[in-house]
Amino acid sequence: MAFLPDESRSLPPPPLFNKGSVWLGFVGWLAALADNAFNQRPVIRAGVHRQILFASVGFFVGYQLVKRAEYIHAKVDREMFEYIRHHPVDFHSPAG
Amino acid sequence: MAAGLRAVRRWGLVAAAPPRLGFTRSAFVVKKENNAQPNWLGVGLAFGTSAALWGFLIKQHDEDVVEYERRKRARGRKCTGCS
Repeated sequence: MAFLPDESRSLPPPPLFNKGSVWLGFVGWLAALADNAFNQRPVIRAGVHRQILFASVGFFVGYQLVKRAEYIHAKVDREMFEYIRHHPVDFHSPAG
Repeated sequence: MAAGLRAVRRWGLVAAAPPRLGFTRSAFVVKKENNAQPNWLGVGLAFGTSAALWGFLIKQHDEDVVEYERRKRARGRKCTGCS
């Protein structure tokens, strides 16, 4: 299966700043800070271009992953509701 | 014999392990790094790539919103009982 099939575009796109993108962007930034630390550079003041690049890559990857996760969840929900629709006997509310 | 081997390793005559992280650099193996002068090519590539990534992301997001609205309108006219 493609990473994001065409039918995923029928779903509302997640907001740009969502849990996954913000968190992975933050993780990317931390990775740049760690790189500074390992190479004995000033941790936050050095390599700002690197910090921005790592954070951007993390943000981008996080956003794509969240989109795919929402698609998978929607697909599974659809299959579940279809199953419920086809087997109403199993899903009657308890009698009385 | 073990003592001799140990001495050989200490003198760097046997192939040393390649330097891994910044704090294991051996002057014989790695060129001198100069963090004082910016690597302008690297800086340009980093900023360029970041700008390209953000541009692509924002463009893709806007296109996704438009496409979703379009499909919602198309579907809305077709059936009203969809979940």
